[in-house]
Amino acid sequence: MIQFSSVSREFEVGEERVHALRNIDLEIKDGEYAAIMGPSGSGKSTMLNILGLLDRADQGQYFLNGEDTTLLTEKKRASLRRRQFGFVFQSFHLVPRMTAAQNVELPLNLDGVPPRERRQRVRDALDAMGLSDRAHHRPSQLSGGQRQRVAIARATITQPGVLLADEPTGNLDTKSGQEVIQALEVLNQRGITLIIITHNPAIGDRARRRIHMQDGSIEDDTDSN
Amino acid sequence: MRLADVFRFCMSALVGARARTWLMLLAMAIGVSSVLLLTAVGEGTRRYVNDQFMNLGSHLLIVMPGKLETTGGQPPILSATQVDLTIDDAVALSQSQSIRRVAPMVLGNAPVSYGQRERAVNVIGSTAGLYGVRKLKMLSGRFLPSGDPTRGAAIAVIGDTLKTELFGSARALGERIRIDGQKFQVIGVLKEASGAGVGMDLRDSAVIPVATAQSLFDSPSLFRVMVEADGHSAISRAENAIIDILRARHNGEEDVTVITQDAMLETFNTILGSLTLAVGGIAAISLAVAGVLIMNVMLVAVSQRKTEIGLLKAIGAPGTQILRLFLAEACMLALLGAIVGLILGFAGVWGLAAALPDFPIGVPFWAPIAATATSLGTGLIFCFIPARRAAKLDPVLALAGH
Repeated sequence: MIQFSSVSREFEVGEERVHALRNIDLEIKDGEYAAIMGPSGSGKSTMLNILGLLDRADQGQYFLNGEDTTLLTEKKRASLRRRQFGFVFQSFHLVPRMTAAQNVELPLNLDGVPPRERRQRVRDALDAMGLSDRAHHRPSQLSGGQRQRVAIARATITQPGVLLADEPTGNLDTKSGQEVIQALEVLNQRGITLIIITHNPAIGDRARRRIHMQDGSIEDDTDSN
Repeated sequence: MRLADVFRFCMSALVGARARTWLMLLAMAIGVSSVLLLTAVGEGTRRYVNDQFMNLGSHLLIVMPGKLETTGGQPPILSATQVDLTIDDAVALSQSQSIRRVAPMVLGNAPVSYGQRERAVNVIGSTAGLYGVRKLKMLSGRFLPSGDPTRGAAIAVIGDTLKTELFGSARALGERIRIDGQKFQVIGVLKEASGAGVGMDLRDSAVIPVATAQSLFDSPSLFRVMVEADGHSAISRAENAIIDILRARHNGEEDVTVITQDAMLETFNTILGSLTLAVGGIAAISLAVAGVLIMNVMLVAVSQRKTEIGLLKAIGAPGTQILRLFLAEACMLALLGAIVGLILGFAGVWGLAAALPDFPIGVPFWAPIAATATSLGTGLIFCFIPARRAAKLDPVLALAGH
């Protein structure tokens, strides 16, 4: 359960103050499938960064499962990121020197999971993404769609409650993009909260809930259900 | 994070940036190997001096007439007055249980000639005791015979250099040479390098009976008495015995100075030991230079790996974990560099030892430990700033590569 209570975020760009988010009130329930849409500069990336605890709100409060995150220490926020969130980025952000399996394993390493359990979970996660035969390939040996599915496997390996995807199809052709979106939707059907940021209406319109942003405010919030 | 995982992560980072890693390894290795080499040369010098002292004869004490006051106090108005040290004094010393051999010595410089050839050399007056005390060896003939040291004889033992200068390759034994105009018969030639070492060069000297030398140089007192203690443990007993015996013979006056070889050796060891430390310290500066290089390269690495650091933060690594990862990387680099440096250093020492077989080069036991510790310390200290910068990166900006 995600709750924003009049969250604001400002940046200084040169002399100017840019209001990236203005008094946002928002609630996203567990298991929802939401798309945050809008043109560039509308504040949707800032929204995602604050959602994922990568950034802090200047004003307002952000409750995650009822807990106020605005007052937490950086160490506690890191630990929440590790357990509660999975990130999928437009440019994948795989570590180039590591194999697919090692990339997927990385969050478990940070968490100190025993090696035996780790191997099994990595195998299962790669299986689920249809990448069992690519486990020992490096990112440079994989196609864009495969790389993004490795990234999804990494994002879900710790079984987080929320999956945050920032333009996950932005660097992919239509067919690979479709596969990636389908993979994400399957995860959502199994219960994960899926939040996708996109400026592509064809992607955004697939979501049950569509949040349109403009100049740091929510312009429109429609739910198909 | 588990230690093995930290190790694997850092290893992949080091292998991933090969040129950078080699550069830093090289810098560390040069530092460590130069510490090793320079301390080995220092230690070799110390051993060399030690060996030289050992050649003087082991368990040696030197008795000199006159009391040397080194404790300060009143101005030494009367200290110049010396009481003679006589041959009888030397004979009396040999009565002690703690003393194995005694060699009274008179030293002078005199022209030594054979036929038309003449050469001014050191002439040493002594007894048969000198042979054992200075560990001498004969090339031919024999040394001064034992007997009453107060009786002189016109016989001489000459060093091998002096023999060659006077006789060339001709036979010297039995020939008569002139020392300061008086005739002496050559009864022996000392072996090359025999009795070499700190002090007098016996190779270019003539040894004659002590009583003869006293009258030759008109010297009522001995120059000094060399005493060999009866084993290492007897040195301090011998020292006490010398002082007691001579005080009794000199009307209760303690008017001689006794120097033990151990005391001299200890002084040299202290001087050369601190010299080795200083030289090692200078070499350690090269490790500090390596540290600056490592800091520079690591700073570049942090900015090159910004997105990776951003990703680690996004998947939940706290800043302290990232700090630890970078410091661990520095540690591994320093250790690897130290290992390469130790191999290079020991190879260098081995090479030097092969090139200079007479020089007792050797790595002091503490040098590899100190070099490794210094390289680890430098790695950690100089990596701290880059590591902290990585730990403090803002994840959003880092992911964007800014």
